[in-house]
Amino acid sequence: MLDTFEILTTSGVVLWSRTYAAVNPSVINNFIADTFIEEKSGPVSLRESQSASTNPAYKSDQHTLKWTTVKELGVIFVVVYRSLLHLSWVDKLVDNIKTIFVSLYGEQLKKPHTTLVECAGFDQYFDQQVNELDKTSARANGPPVPNIEEPGNSGNVIDSGDAPAAPGLTYRGRALHNGAGTADVASTESTPVPTPGTSRPSTPGGSNLVVGKAGPGGKLSRRARKAKSTVPAPVSSGDDISKKAAKGKKGRKWDADGFADEEDDVQLDYSSKNALNSDSEAEAPLARSSAVDAVDSSTWGQQSKGKFVLRDLGDEVHDILASAQKSSSTPSDAKSTGLLNTGVSAVTGLFRNVVGGKTLTKSDLDTAMKGMQDHLVRKNVALEAALRLCEGVEKELLGVKTGSFESISSRIQSAMEASLTKMLTPTSSLDLLRDIDAVTKPGVTSLKKPRPYVISIVGVNGVGKSTNLSKICYFLLQNRYRVLIAAGDTFRSGAVEQLAVHVRNLKELTAREGGGEVDLYQKGYGKDAATVAKDAVTHAASSGYDVVLIDTAGRRHNDQRLMSSLEKFAKFAQPDKILMVGEALVGTDSVAQARNFNAAFGTASLDGFIISKCDTVGDMVGTLVSLVHATNVPVLFVGVGQHYSDLRNFSVKWAVEKLLSSSTS
Amino acid sequence: MAFADILEALLTPSLPILALGILIIIGAPLLLHIALASSSTYITPPTVLLLGPLASGKTSLLTLFERGTPAETHTSQSTTSVELNASTDADSKQSFRNHDDTSGTHTKFILVDTPGHGKLRNLAFGKLERAETLKAIVFVVDAAALSEQDVLSTTASYLYDVLLLLQKRAADKSKTKKSVVPVMIAANKMDLFTALPATMVRTNLEVELTRIRATRSKGLLDSGVGMDDVGSEDQDAWLGEYGSEKFSFKQMQEFDIDVDVLPGSITGEEGTGADKWWWWIAQKIANA
Repeated sequence: MLDTFEILTTSGVVLWSRTYAAVNPSVINNFIADTFIEEKSGPVSLRESQSASTNPAYKSDQHTLKWTTVKELGVIFVVVYRSLLHLSWVDKLVDNIKTIFVSLYGEQLKKPHTTLVECAGFDQYFDQQVNELDKTSARANGPPVPNIEEPGNSGNVIDSGDAPAAPGLTYRGRALHNGAGTADVASTESTPVPTPGTSRPSTPGGSNLVVGKAGPGGKLSRRARKAKSTVPAPVSSGDDISKKAAKGKKGRKWDADGFADEEDDVQLDYSSKNALNSDSEAEAPLARSSAVDAVDSSTWGQQSKGKFVLRDLGDEVHDILASAQKSSSTPSDAKSTGLLNTGVSAVTGLFRNVVGGKTLTKSDLDTAMKGMQDHLVRKNVALEAALRLCEGVEKELLGVKTGSFESISSRIQSAMEASLTKMLTPTSSLDLLRDIDAVTKPGVTSLKKPRPYVISIVGVNGVGKSTNLSKICYFLLQNRYRVLIAAGDTFRSGAVEQLAVHVRNLKELTAREGGGEVDLYQKGYGKDAATVAKDAVTHAASSGYDVVLIDTAGRRHNDQRLMSSLEKFAKFAQPDKILMVGEALVGTDSVAQARNFNAAFGTASLDGFIISKCDTVGDMVGTLVSLVHATNVPVLFVGVGQHYSDLRNFSVKWAVEKLLSSSTS
Repeated sequence: MAFADILEALLTPSLPILALGILIIIGAPLLLHIALASSSTYITPPTVLLLGPLASGKTSLLTLFERGTPAETHTSQSTTSVELNASTDADSKQSFRNHDDTSGTHTKFILVDTPGHGKLRNLAFGKLERAETLKAIVFVVDAAALSEQDVLSTTASYLYDVLLLLQKRAADKSKTKKSVVPVMIAANKMDLFTALPATMVRTNLEVELTRIRATRSKGLLDSGVGMDDVGSEDQDAWLGEYGSEKFSFKQMQEFDIDVDVLPGSITGEEGTGADKWWWWIAQKIANA
């Protein structure tokens, strides 16, 4: 069965939870981080309210998580169960619970400055749903008809099934009726099929049977049994209030027989009241929950209580689900309104566009989003990434009200800014120097032995691998590290000589400015690059270098033969950081490049990007968005010129500003 | 017949009467607006910001203060806020469980929780930069995990960014005098066995901040920083006393930023609970 069901807010507070088997909280924490914050499975940023079945299930090692969200309230519903189990009804459960919870407590969630939601009474609703869905799936011979679809019909079914029993109770002797009651219970327990309710497996009639089962039927006290058979009739007949009142009276009359005492009186009062509640749509959800509370606090027999509450809930829940279904289907019908109406709405729409306070719809957003998408593409963002960003922003904005004096486009602008910032911001801080220090000079208390820090640089041909390597080298030298450069490009003629020139220049510079030390490790051409890299690392460890920078041969990302050698390279050299150099100039191809390189290392993966030639593109720095979009790997450095010193830390703010600036150079 | 005279004077289209009329017509809405605007700023309650890395206990602390018992929490994705009342002279002034207390004067304030995930830090910094009535910052750290290098370095780098921002704000002379914001480092989870004592938390953070300051100063410039303002950037990006060998929280007093490290625990028993933190907040709210 289920392990845990939790209802939590986006601010992280668990509103309600039910635990059957303890689950490490990190499972849900990881789920939140991966799905919502880092968006590893694509853009799912609090989409429009969706069914749990359309949301991809999140799998941790032993558990499967199904989830759904209510965007405007910021509530997440998540269920955790063992991956071994195949629970077909879990999606349904999550969706139904969402509908019920929102209709009962939605108002409370909208209150500002509080995290409190009084939902202690929700346990019963949940139990009812689980029981019902579990049972329907257990005897799902026919296709399980969703119980929300025909509320009217189901009411009739119950009427015909239960109504005859009620008069019997009032007029005849109790013994006879009790017998009938037990027979009823027995028949429902042994053979559910013959009763009229089960012609439709999952109608509320079915739920009544389920409820009957849930109580320990055989051991019921007389009173409880009696009570059980009396009350359902007034509750379930969902037509007429006066009729109900009459039945309530009847019950009281029978009360006076001396059979049941005052506690039962309370019970009956409650049930009829509750039936009234569920009848009127406009009743506040709070009133409902308070009614449930009243039941809770009353002190009647445990056995009868469980049954009654569940029974009432069954109907209440179905009412909620049915009305939700109705309201979700109505908007599509209500679209075609008169000419005058559309004209007025168009005018007010225009007005609101200026003044703000407009609720954004799909049609409002479509044109503006198209503009934003074009803008991003013009900034050299690959179409795929631009589409994803725009989709995410659109989903986020649908149904949102614009602020006062805020136009749609400025709302989109700010949403896009937030979206870009979130995408480009790395999960953990990237401080290369601190990482190097941690490896080369581990603390006294740490058990690790000092060793050289290995950085390898990969990329497509001609993007500037060697140039950026020497820039990083210069930066490290200024911080007084001893650096060894390994010439891993054993293929292209002149590659080793090129590095040798860089090393000579850097040596001269460091000698002049005072700094670290740099040397070249090379084995000439034609050797296996992985072996050269491995030898270089061993050499560096033995002669006390701090950092090893490994250059590699440029390779085309779609050449399987060349890319496959990278895996061996990663295994041999064991680099601490694998950096990929990407050109700012390249367009759509950057996505494929990043993906292929990221996948090529086997167990390892890229640790960061260096975006080279940023000075040549002005503010069309879209490539870095494409790269990050494709791999979720952060950008580490940005190359901004021809000199050794023209290397910059990547600043998210700078990039977002450039991407959203309107002037296209 | 003085009344008739006045009436006559008022109805005569003379220059002073016209001027007075125009003055009233223009002035009345203005006065009304000023009156309303000034009263509305008065209403905005002071704000206290909860910052800190992932899984340090920010949201738990928020719910503890609000409900009296901590709620179960998961990773936050958005900011949230609650309205609380603090008092420095009530009977239950030392405790946050003061919802039924009627003695003394209570000051209303808003406690804002922020997500600690690395990708969502910009939300917290947005709050930090924009909060008008920011009175105090509570930086929650996990004292039990702080002995691990990973946790320490992420915690310290976040704290470094926060302190640097506050320092820049305090040093910024061009702006109108903003009230200085005190910082409390709440060393949480003291009830756990592995928790470091508050003094160790303090020294560990100071050592790590020193290290970060050193690497940041040696690091590359951010993209977008022009070559011409390199020199000015240098001193601004240095946290604490410029050129000092070791960083200590005392150096922040140069910018009128008090940093206190207070131990406590959210789930713990009496004594080590969160009362110390509450008292600290209450004092800062009352002073401001």
